[in-house]
Amino acid sequence: MTSLITLKGVNKYYGDYHALRDIDLTINEGEFFSLLGPSGCGKTTLLRTIAGFESVSDGVVMIGGKDMAGVSANLRPTNMVFQSYAIFPHLSVAENVAFGLRKRSDLDKAAKQALVDDALDMVGLGGFGARAAHALSGGQRQRVALARALILKPKVLLLDEPLSALDKKMREQMQVELIRLQRHVGITFILVTHDQEEALVMSDRIAVMFEGRIGQLDDPETLYRRPNSRKVAEFIGKMNFLKADVKAVGDVIDLDVAGLGKVRVAAEQAPEPMNTGPAVAGIRPETLAVLFDGETTVRKLVDGVVDEVVYYGDMTYYDVRIAGVAQPLNIAMKNLIGRPVLEVGEKTRVVWDERSLVVLR
Amino acid sequence: MSLRIYAIAYLIFLYAPIVLLPIFAFNDATIIAFPLAGFTTKWFDALMTGNALHAAVKNSLMIAATTAVLATLLGICAARAGAMYKFPMKAGIMGFIMLPLVLPEIIVAVSLLVVVVQILNLGLSNWTIIAAHVLICTPFSIAILNGAFQNLDPSMEEAAMDLGESRFSAFRLVTLPLVMPGIISSMLIAFTISLDEFIIAFFLSGASPTMPVYIWGLLRFPASLPVVMALGTILVALSIVLLTIAEVLRRRGLARAGVQDKGGFL
Amino acid sequence: MWRKMTSTEGGRGLLMVSPPFFYALALLAMPLGAIFMFSFWTQDFVTLDTTFTLNNYREILEKPIYGALLKRSLYVSGCVTAVTVLLAFPVAYFVSFHVRPERKSLWLFLITIPFWTSYLIRVFLWKVILGYNGVVNTGLLNIGLIDEPLTFILYNVNAVIITLAHAFAPFAILPIFVALEKIDRSLLEAAQDLGESKFMTFIRITLPLSMPGLVAAVLIVFIPTIGDYVTPELMGGAGGKLIANMIQTQFLALNNAPLGAALAIVAMLCVTAISLGFVLLNRRWLRGRG
Repeated sequence: MTSLITLKGVNKYYGDYHALRDIDLTINEGEFFSLLGPSGCGKTTLLRTIAGFESVSDGVVMIGGKDMAGVSANLRPTNMVFQSYAIFPHLSVAENVAFGLRKRSDLDKAAKQALVDDALDMVGLGGFGARAAHALSGGQRQRVALARALILKPKVLLLDEPLSALDKKMREQMQVELIRLQRHVGITFILVTHDQEEALVMSDRIAVMFEGRIGQLDDPETLYRRPNSRKVAEFIGKMNFLKADVKAVGDVIDLDVAGLGKVRVAAEQAPEPMNTGPAVAGIRPETLAVLFDGETTVRKLVDGVVDEVVYYGDMTYYDVRIAGVAQPLNIAMKNLIGRPVLEVGEKTRVVWDERSLVVLR
Repeated sequence: MSLRIYAIAYLIFLYAPIVLLPIFAFNDATIIAFPLAGFTTKWFDALMTGNALHAAVKNSLMIAATTAVLATLLGICAARAGAMYKFPMKAGIMGFIMLPLVLPEIIVAVSLLVVVVQILNLGLSNWTIIAAHVLICTPFSIAILNGAFQNLDPSMEEAAMDLGESRFSAFRLVTLPLVMPGIISSMLIAFTISLDEFIIAFFLSGASPTMPVYIWGLLRFPASLPVVMALGTILVALSIVLLTIAEVLRRRGLARAGVQDKGGFL
Repeated sequence: MWRKMTSTEGGRGLLMVSPPFFYALALLAMPLGAIFMFSFWTQDFVTLDTTFTLNNYREILEKPIYGALLKRSLYVSGCVTAVTVLLAFPVAYFVSFHVRPERKSLWLFLITIPFWTSYLIRVFLWKVILGYNGVVNTGLLNIGLIDEPLTFILYNVNAVIITLAHAFAPFAILPIFVALEKIDRSLLEAAQDLGESKFMTFIRITLPLSMPGLVAAVLIVFIPTIGDYVTPELMGGAGGKLIANMIQTQFLALNNAPLGAALAIVAMLCVTAISLGFVLLNRRWLRGRG
């Protein structure tokens, strides 16, 4: 894999405000890369730094091996899909898509028209060229924005929260379409989003950002299974945290987990180097289970009492209190055929497995 | 319901003087009073022959046109800066530029008079009036253009730059067409204000008076009053036409930008 | 330097705003400084004496005519402001709350049109309406309400107030309208849901939230009216002249620019002080709701 974008020691200040802190990052050719984080974490600033709308206070941004310092946005091999889509309201759909071709003197009118038609076909808007831009729906605007950016065949397509303005159903549909589109054109996509699910679904790799820093950079599965901090674990999905005491660190880690007792886990279940002493053991709700009457398990069990039941249709979420832990355990159960829904106050047994634990500092 | 009646009564109060204009302009009597004497168009005929009046009208048109262009140019700078950029001391700077809106006109008039005549030792001319009119019209231009600029999505220009245009051509290709109705509307309003302005023009006009200054002179001679009524009728009709165009353009601009109309000029 | 200016947002903004800013600086701030300086000089017909003196201010203080004119001016401006704003509020309220959205701009347009048209002639026409043989008198005579024309409605302070209130009407309506438009309508429903009557909702929600507009309307009418000399000249008669007439006379007829400058400074200071006081009195309504 060849790297396309390299950021080295990038810092950005707005007056006293430190928006980006020591960002080191390499993004590969053809990769679907996401910047994920809560609002104000610097992810949009980072994207705009790559696009050339923000200058860096310190550090280097390289695209395709060239230092981008002093190269303004219009001269960079990047194109952007804006959060508001920024569709020019005074132009037709075709004129919007053809906007970036104005200076291409090597193309005649017919060639430009052909490119526009291809671009519109690609995003599923064939035949919409003559429509007025302000008469489009949200999903259609999004597609026009995509066609307008992709027609220029950029090395990188930058997407700034492109789905946040759409309703849930439309959003899910566009997620799939974006993935297909990216595979089809084969260029690097960089997506900014605050929606962890969106990032997990779409990306090859995800950088999770907090307060101007990259907290963790991994593929979606690693990020979900082995978050390297409580912050990342809490931002992506749900996780139960249990107090733990690390006894020994080596090829395996021995630890005492509150409510679960003595546990031995593999060394890679601690994403960051561990020392003996106090730590936190994290476990995802869907890796726990409630053992119903008549069911058996080869895995470990701990007694508990149902504290809260939230019924979701396909799933039921239980809060189960176990001895020695103040916070009840959150457990996600699929509502399979024949499975009852427990009532608050019922005694139950919780199934758990040490392989699903992650040990954090 | 009673509110509506009140509002209509208020409109009648607003329009009462203007309605009288054409009545007396076509009234066949030298005295501007009731009862009316009969229909005539001779006061309009008299307008056609007054050389001094023609000179004053020409003067005023030149001043108003120049003022409209200059005030709108300054207004574009201020409205764009105000709507699209954050910069140090923004509120203070914008407030200072808008200050002539509330400053008594006589203060503007006397202070410029002192500077031009006593300090710079320059003569008064149409340019002194233009300078002052640009000062008082710029805040109105800004107020009108603000509407146009604030409705612009700031990422619109960035999108154009992202697609390969320079900062200037992004402005020319995207922003300018979108704010054009606002620009024309601003020019029309500035033109109307300047054409009608008397207080400052009275202090700052040189050898050749503007139209309002000329009218002021006529008001002292009862014999010339019907002619003033005729002139006023034409002016009001002209103003209404210009303002209607300005309003239509302003609305068209909003429609083009895909924004819902939320109110009038200011 | 240029690069640095254009590379940051703040720099670009400042660059963009500098033409109108420097224009206002050159044609407003500097001239204001100049008349301030002038007010400490003296003039004998055409020769200017630039030695520093407080004589102009002393004269204003000592001769009762200036104080009387100033007091009358402030009184007239105050009355005009009160009348204008009180008359304007219901209209702004009506347009904002009772007119269908697509008709609002038509109403505003109708309200603003008279404001833009031929100021001088409009003032003069009030003379026709209120005059001896004017519309009001002939009307009342015809109905038989009066036996001879009323004379107390022209050439006095009242006539000046009516005319100015008419001239500044749209100026008062617009800021109030804008403030009313900004009020989230669900706040009013919330107040009624919490048990308030329509009237009390108006008192407890609408009125406080429209205060920024009211304050703006007061300032935008009060301050400029002090500088008008056309209306008192045409409508005021002998007893209706105001401070602006005196300033105009000093500059254009008596050739005593320094005294005129001092009068202008004093008038402006009074207006500014009153306006600031008014804003301070209302500051609790203005906080955080620009």
